[in-house]
Order: sequence, then C-alpha cells, then structure tokens
Amino acid sequence: MLSRVASHLYWMARYLERAENMARILDVGQLLALVSRGEDSEATAIEPLVITDTLEDFDATGRARTPAEVACYLAWDALHASSIFNCLHGSRENARAVRADITTEMWEDINNTWLQLLQKRHQDHQPADNAFFEWVKERSHLFRGITFSTIRRDQPYHFIRLGTFIERADNTARILSVKQSTLGTGRTGNEITDYYRLSAVLRSVSAFEAYRDTYREGVEELRVAELLIVDPTLPRSLRFCFDQIVRALALLPGATAKPARRLAATMLANLQFADIEEIYSQGYRAFLERFLAETAQLGQALHEAYLEPK
Amino acid sequence: MPPQSQSSSTSPARFQGQSQGGSEPPAEDDEPRLQLLKPDPGGYDEMLLPDGTARPHYSAYQDWLRSKSADWMERQRAQVDLIFRRTGITFSVYGDETGTERLIPSDVVPRVIDAEEWGRLELGLIQRVKAINRFLSDIYHKQDILRAGLIPADQILVNQQYQVAMVGVKVPHQTYAHIVGVDLVRHKDGDFYVLEDNLRVPSGVSYMLSNRKMMMRLFPDLFQKHAVRPVEHYPGMLLDTLISASSQDRPTVVLLTPGPYNSAYFEHAFLAQQMGVELVEGRDLFVEDGFVYMRTTSGRQRVDVIYRRIDDVFLDPLAFRPDSVLGVPGLLAAYRLGNVVISNAIGTGVADDKSIYPYVPDMIRFYLGEEPLLKNVPTWQCRKPQDLAYVLAHLPELVVKEVHGAGGYGMLVGPTSSSEEVARFREVLTARPEGYIAQPTLSLSTCPTFVEEGVAPRHLDLRPFVLTGREIRIVPGGLTRVALRKGSLVVNSSQGGGTKDTWVVDH
Repeated sequence: MLSRVASHLYWMARYLERAENMARILDVGQLLALVSRGEDSEATAIEPLVITDTLEDFDATGRARTPAEVACYLAWDALHASSIFNCLHGSRENARAVRADITTEMWEDINNTWLQLLQKRHQDHQPADNAFFEWVKERSHLFRGITFSTIRRDQPYHFIRLGTFIERADNTARILSVKQSTLGTGRTGNEITDYYRLSAVLRSVSAFEAYRDTYREGVEELRVAELLIVDPTLPRSLRFCFDQIVRALALLPGATAKPARRLAATMLANLQFADIEEIYSQGYRAFLERFLAETAQLGQALHEAYLEPK
Repeated sequence: MPPQSQSSSTSPARFQGQSQGGSEPPAEDDEPRLQLLKPDPGGYDEMLLPDGTARPHYSAYQDWLRSKSADWMERQRAQVDLIFRRTGITFSVYGDETGTERLIPSDVVPRVIDAEEWGRLELGLIQRVKAINRFLSDIYHKQDILRAGLIPADQILVNQQYQVAMVGVKVPHQTYAHIVGVDLVRHKDGDFYVLEDNLRVPSGVSYMLSNRKMMMRLFPDLFQKHAVRPVEHYPGMLLDTLISASSQDRPTVVLLTPGPYNSAYFEHAFLAQQMGVELVEGRDLFVEDGFVYMRTTSGRQRVDVIYRRIDDVFLDPLAFRPDSVLGVPGLLAAYRLGNVVISNAIGTGVADDKSIYPYVPDMIRFYLGEEPLLKNVPTWQCRKPQDLAYVLAHLPELVVKEVHGAGGYGMLVGPTSSSEEVARFREVLTARPEGYIAQPTLSLSTCPTFVEEGVAPRHLDLRPFVLTGREIRIVPGGLTRVALRKGSLVVNSSQGGGTKDTWVVDH
C-alpha cells in the first residue's frame, strides 16, 4: 500500500476524531459555565483553550475571554488549525485524496458532512451551541459506523484505527491533565463545584454511566482517573486506546515499524499493569505529561515507519 | 424461513415500460411516441437517410426507438445521471470548494458504426499510428525525413514540443506513443477525416467504458437484438500494452496522476482500479541510483512502467519546469538509462502539434510506402505568407485553431462567429501568424440525440483509442462526443458537449 494513501487515511481519521473531541470539550464547557460564577468563570471559559494548548493564539486574536467567544473560536476560526471547521475540512480533503481506497458510502458521508458544514457557515450566525456540537458528534459516529460496516479489514482499515485511537488517547490525556491542574491536588472546598467539574470530565468522554456502573458511589477524583486511564473496557480510556493501537500495528507490515511497535507495546504494558494509587503517589501530573510526550513520539514513529518513510 | 420484511406496496404499474425480451408492454400504447426529427437535408446523418428511413445498420434500432414514448425515454435518461453519479465517473470543476463534480451528459441514443466501415477505419488508424511512431523514432535519431526535405527542419527542431533531452535515447521497441486517441469526424461527403492525433495524454476512455456499462443496464434487450462488439476488455488491453512496453519479465506498472484536483482524476482512479495497478502521485515516487521506486507501507518498491497522465514539462523538475511539484526529480535521468518506461514517451507532442499535422500523410508515404487510408483535413499553415493571405481573405468561412491549443479553447469557428470575433482573430493572426492554422469548416455528421425537443440531429465526432504494444490494437468504436446545442460544432466537454455509447455492429 502506498505510504501517501496510508497517511491520508490516518489523518482523515485523526481530524475527524479531533473535531468530535473538540465538540465534546466545548459542549461540556458550556454546561459548566452555567454553574460557575465569580473568579471561577473566566478559568472555566478558557479551559477548552488550555486543554488544546491554544490560549496564546486565542488571546492574540483580541477576542474576549468569554465562553461564547471561546466556543466560536474553537468551532469556526479559519486561522485556527484545529478548529472544528478546519478539522472537518482536513478530514474531508484527506478522504477526497483517497476516494478509490475507501468505500463509496464512506466518501459520500464525509462529503455530506462537509457540505452541511458549509451551509451552517453561511448562516448569519455561525452556531456554536449544544445542537451544533451534537451534530458534530453525530456525524463522527455515523462515519465510524459506516466505516465499521463497509470497509474491508485490510491495511486501510488498520490505518484508520491507528489515527482514531492515537488522537483519542491524546485527547483523553489532555482533558485529565488540565482538569487535574484546575482541581489542584486538594479540593476547591466546594463539594458541588467539584461534583460538576468531575462529572463534566466524565461526560466529555461519554463515561458518566460507565462510572456509575463501575463504582456505584459518589464521583471521586481518584476513581475518575482510574476509569479513564486503566479501565480496559471504556472506549475512550487510555488503556483501551492502546489495546487498539497495538492490535492494529500487529496487523500491519512490520519491516519498518520496529520502533513504533516497541514503543506502543511498552506504553500498553505500563497501562495494563498500572495502579492508580501508585500513579498518584508518584506524581499524577508527571505521569500524564510523560504519556502525552510518548504518544507524540509514537505518532512520529508511525510517520517514519509508514506514512513518510525516508 | 426468509427474513421478514414489510409488505410490498409496489404496484406492477411501476415496472411499466421496461420491455422484456422484446415484447412491448401494452401500457405504453396510450403514451405519445418519441418524435424523431429529420436531419438537415444538406448534411450526413449517421442513422437517417435524407428521406427519414434508417440506414441498414440502424434499422433495428430505429424500429425499437419508434416503439418508445418520450416519457419512458426521459425516465431512462434520468437513470443515466444517477448511475453516473454512483459510479463516480464525473468531471471535477476547478476551484469549486464544495467538491461537487459535474457530469458529462451521456446520451441514451447510441452511435452505431457498421462493422465493414469500422474495418476500413481500423486499417487506416493502424497505418497512421504506425507511421507516427516511425516518425517519432526518426526525428529523435537519424532524422531521415528532415534530410529528405519533406518537413522543414526548423518546424521540428525549434518546436516547443520537441524534447532535445530525447535525442539519441533508445526507447523499447521504438514505440513512443503507446496510447493514441485519434479524433475523427465525418464530413457531409460521407468520408471520415482525421481532425487530430492526440499523442500526449489522451483522455475520455472511462466514458467509453461507462457509457457501455450504462446502456447494457438500461437496455439489455437492445443488446440481444444487436451483435454489438464488446469494449469492456480495454483496461486489460491497456495493461498488456504497458507490460509489453517493458523489457522486464513481470514489470511493476503504476499510473501517475497530477492528483485529485485534476479534472480527469476520476478517469485516472478508474483506470488504475480496473487494471489493478497503483495510482501514484509524483511525491509517491523517488529516484535512487538511477532506478525509480515508490514509497509503500512495506518499504520501497521498484517501478518499471509509468503510465503518466501528466504533461512532459511537469514530469521532472530537474529536467523541465523547476517549479513542478507534480513530477519526480531525477525521473528523466532514470528514463534515459533505460531503467523505467514512460508511456507515452517524453516528446511525443511534437507529432500531434497542429503545425505538424498536415505532414502526416507524407509520413505514411515516406515510412511505409503506402497511400494514406484516412483523409486529412486540408490545412492552411498561417506561417506561410500565401496561406495566411488566403486565410485572412476567407476568415468568416474557416475554422482557425491555435497550433498548441486544446480543449476547444482559443479557436474561431468562422460561420458561427460574430463580426467582432472575426475582427479580433484577424488582428491576432496578423500579429502572430505562426501560432495558427486554418481549416475549412467541416459540416460534421449528425446523429439523432435525445434532447428537449425530442430526438433531434446533433453534430458529433469519434475518438478511437489505439494501443501499440507487441501489435497495434483498437477496441471497436471508441468515444463519441456530441455537441448538445443545436447547430453547434464544438463537442468538447468543457464547451457543453456530451457523449454517446459507440457500437460497432455486425449485421
């Protein structure tokens, strides 16, 4: 399979997943803004920017630090490379370049998403509300479903999976790391605010029900972290993502991929045998930072092995 | 037990009009029949004689057509659009951000060619392409034809399509043009004339294949009534041709495309898929130690034959246009070493230049010692003062074409142009005569075509695709392009043209 084709498929999946994650973060952020007040409110408003590491870029645009402006920037700004608009555009352009390698249904769906997005952009008021974020999630779910039920389980499929799960792992780790820093090691002293913050984390990764089912107790920070890091069954946990990554890699040609495979397997092993109390005592934040750095390194290794070999 | 399903509410009436095995559905009797408009009395119509009766090879089709209603035909036509969109055989419009692709309209009335006539055309095409390949080999090596004084040397050697880099380069089997799309038109005298030989990257074959597929789906009964020669084996023949162009035993063939933004991208993707070869862009390939490789997820893989759909000047930024991002640095060097075959060869464009076209009959006599079987259109070369004088005096009745033009752009069709347009061309011609040729306005033949006013005569041409491998082969027929506007003589898809399925029938 051509490296360029693999690269398009991988980035098609990554961009779509990124758009979905952005919609999730913004959706929950708006909900949270409703319950926060006073000094908290600006911190809450800019949180999506902190998670995506774009606070500086945002301030440079001169926009006010309000939830509405932040949402508008992250959803629609044409100059922001990871705005939902640009992510969906990137996903569709990558799909377009490899139309012959994906199924007709997949192409028509992602193209349809793009055409609908253009219509929304042409409205007087570009939507950045719950209905819009739901739409983004729905389009992403739909595409994944179509992919799952139409494409052959061959190299293209494995590269799509790699893109999806690397992006997702990165996103979950970012959410955890930012929520941790705003929560601090201690508590805000306000149980209600804590509850909303923690459940916001869970909701942003569709894990609220999973938490209830697993722990059947009040929302505890440590348990939230445990669920999102080491749970093998939750589709957005770090452990789950790396299970999928390692499986996909095992089904791809191995001649050039030793460094990528080794790194992925090591990261998976660390998650498989992790203990959340130990992670906390040894430094939760450092753990997440290392995880993010290694994930970026894995992305680089994949590029060297498959997508842009020398 | 069969799976449960909702009870069907489809009434039998829904299937009315789909004839089965030749028996006509009774419900159609109430609907008005199709109007078959008479052809222009002065012209040549492919189907109809001046009295409105069908030519023998079209008579079975005419009977069939007469039994159809306009509504039924309209429903079939709507199906065509749907099938074409689904198959993805579309034509992308430059600069359209929505990515909606335009369809080239495909007509439901076929263009039928009698097998005997096709046999004569085929011989003429083979002869012509054979001579052109001999000519290309000659001008890049011994240049006998220039020494014989048949063609002025400067017209070849300073021609911008003449690639100095190809001088002395051995190409396998001395074949330069593996794929040629020859544009033919039929004049009112009933004879076919060659309009041009497309030797660079002729396109349109995907429409030939899709038109046939579509017609067989919509009108299976017609194919039972007619012995239509098949065309579906074209991709296989093309692959054979490309493989035989290499001296390797089992060469790796790729199709090189400029990418998804090219208007013919879907044809590229379609052909690559049909041949089962990789569809590559320039950046997928690289040259190392004189060999060409592609980057794959399993490492590098050597490439032996490149079927390129990119013009010469973009192929290698080191040898041609340095700003080209479509090509492969070092490709020309690898090619000159004989380590890769490029198809068509670099530098074939010099032979389909409109200023060289008038000499093709001479080439046939010179290289093959035969009389040309296909006619050329009489051509005035504006670079010659006496020709220019004639052209300027007769502009309103001539067709003037740019020597390097293509796609129906930059041309003047005298009889259908305004006096301002004629005046503007007069200025252009006087300023730069060497850039133009002129030809008499041919009255292209017509063929009944399903349009709004009924089944009406429209002008058309024919582009057979000639493949040169171990032998020269042509799938029967080719691509028929039709000018859908009444009276128009311009068939290019960029100028409102459509296509027709082309049948060669034995009867």
